[in-house]
Amino acid sequence: MTSDIAVFAEDLTKFYGQRRGIEGLDLEVRVGEVMGFLGPNGAGKTTTIRLLLDFLRPTRGHASVLGLDPRRDKAALHRQIGYLPGELAFPGRDRADDLLRFFANARGGVAWSQVTGLAERLDLDLSRSVRTMSKGNKQKVGLVQAFMHRPALLVLDEPTSGLDPLMQQEFLAMVREASAAGQTVFMSSHVLSEVQQVADRVAVVRDSRLAAVERVESLGKRAVRAVEIHFDDPVDPAEFSALPGVSDVVVSGPVLKCTIDGRIDPLIKAAARHQVVDMLSAEPDLEETFLSFYYHAEGAGDASRAGA
Amino acid sequence: MLPALVRKTWRDDRLALIGWAGGVAAFTAIYTSFYSQFQGAAELKQDALPQGMLDFLGIADMLSPAGYLQATIFSLVGPLLVLMCAITLAARTIARPEEDGGMELMLANPISRAAFAWQRVAAAGGALTGIAAVPWILLMIIVPWVGMDIPLSNVAAASAGLVALVWCFAGIAFLIGAATGKRAVVLAVTGGLAVATYMANAIGGMVDGWHWLRWLSPFHYFIGTDPLHTGWHPVELLTLVLLGAATTTAGVIVFDRRDIGV
Repeated sequence: MTSDIAVFAEDLTKFYGQRRGIEGLDLEVRVGEVMGFLGPNGAGKTTTIRLLLDFLRPTRGHASVLGLDPRRDKAALHRQIGYLPGELAFPGRDRADDLLRFFANARGGVAWSQVTGLAERLDLDLSRSVRTMSKGNKQKVGLVQAFMHRPALLVLDEPTSGLDPLMQQEFLAMVREASAAGQTVFMSSHVLSEVQQVADRVAVVRDSRLAAVERVESLGKRAVRAVEIHFDDPVDPAEFSALPGVSDVVVSGPVLKCTIDGRIDPLIKAAARHQVVDMLSAEPDLEETFLSFYYHAEGAGDASRAGA
Repeated sequence: MLPALVRKTWRDDRLALIGWAGGVAAFTAIYTSFYSQFQGAAELKQDALPQGMLDFLGIADMLSPAGYLQATIFSLVGPLLVLMCAITLAARTIARPEEDGGMELMLANPISRAAFAWQRVAAAGGALTGIAAVPWILLMIIVPWVGMDIPLSNVAAASAGLVALVWCFAGIAFLIGAATGKRAVVLAVTGGLAVATYMANAIGGMVDGWHWLRWLSPFHYFIGTDPLHTGWHPVELLTLVLLGAATTTAGVIVFDRRDIGV
């Protein structure tokens, strides 16, 4: 366990009775890194986060956060953590500024300009009662309290839920700045595109297990692209389906549709034997890549990726 | 400076606290201030009710000052009021914020689980003690003022018993909330326990051969010693306080060990 690891989990497992929350999670998040934590609803993202914050106790395995034990060192650890819950609920019926003052005091004092600065960025009216706020505004209060004490580690559970696109961009900018300032960010999401813009790496959980940990760039390289080629005359699907990397070949008359994993060259060479009218190639779609992680890739393929 | 969490707890509960304090104060003041006017009605009530019913309600006689105070403030409605307050406030320490989700952000502060629980207990317990002491403070003023012929020390002993009784049941309610995190369970179990032990004390005092039953009831340690006639009984009061302290400590330990918000 070295000091450049912010979050470390080893065989981290949580069962709720018979129901599995997360099983056998091995994970390392480096200091200063932005890690996206992706998976469909109910995959175990929130369970993992709640284990790291000591709301839950592991059934098996252990975690250490900023080199500290989540349970034994909770008080010291939470001074350095900014946490945004996935199910945001605020204690009491205070105005936003009174509530944030409570958080500031409970964390040993926070420069108030820090709070007002964040509120201004997010266009949040601090004089309103949090109970009467819309979901989006509540989310902003949650973000302000998570960022306000400049914690070494930000743990954000579905941080953009409820935010409009403009505010989502502002939030992503906040994450980038935090990362530039040396803060570590661990954020969960079920939407890849938002994570993709800021994360250095993504961890994917599916069905309570870690499916993959990848650098965001390498995901793009590996991505499956969809190709559609229009010919002058009808073509024979057999000509294309045997090509390396090509799959899902569908031919309807002169139109060929397929997906290609890896180099596109063999497909181009094969197509060049015919008169080509038009060719469409969709940008590598990370969302689709991830859907394949979620719903298709089973067994061996997964395990080898998990080790990456 | 008090911990931020204690101040926050009081601020969040301020309406309930003011309401309960006002209610208990009004109840105490109205009943005792009209001591002389109630006398006629008290006689009627005493004549109308059979002796068994009077015993069950913990009413010895309604004509002497001590009997009147016992019947109005200390036997049924007074304990009922302050215990309802104790149970609902104790349910607010952990069970309610855990159910509505607000506890997660209160715990996401630099504070250990145990310290969180103790600070919530301290805030609720402090407020509760103040509310349970309202009859004590008011009686110290009203009893001499309306000319009730009863030693103030005895009134103080009975009033202190009310505070001790509240601590005892608040401890039990806190333990149940800390262990289960469910508000409904706190209200049902502690409320049921209060009714059952109240009846145990009443039946134990009335039925031959069942006297031992009253030793199981906190109400016996509170009022069974007849403090309005006999004054202070430190051992009985201490029993209630220790019961409250033990259940509270157990609650903190259990809360420190379990999963939250599952």
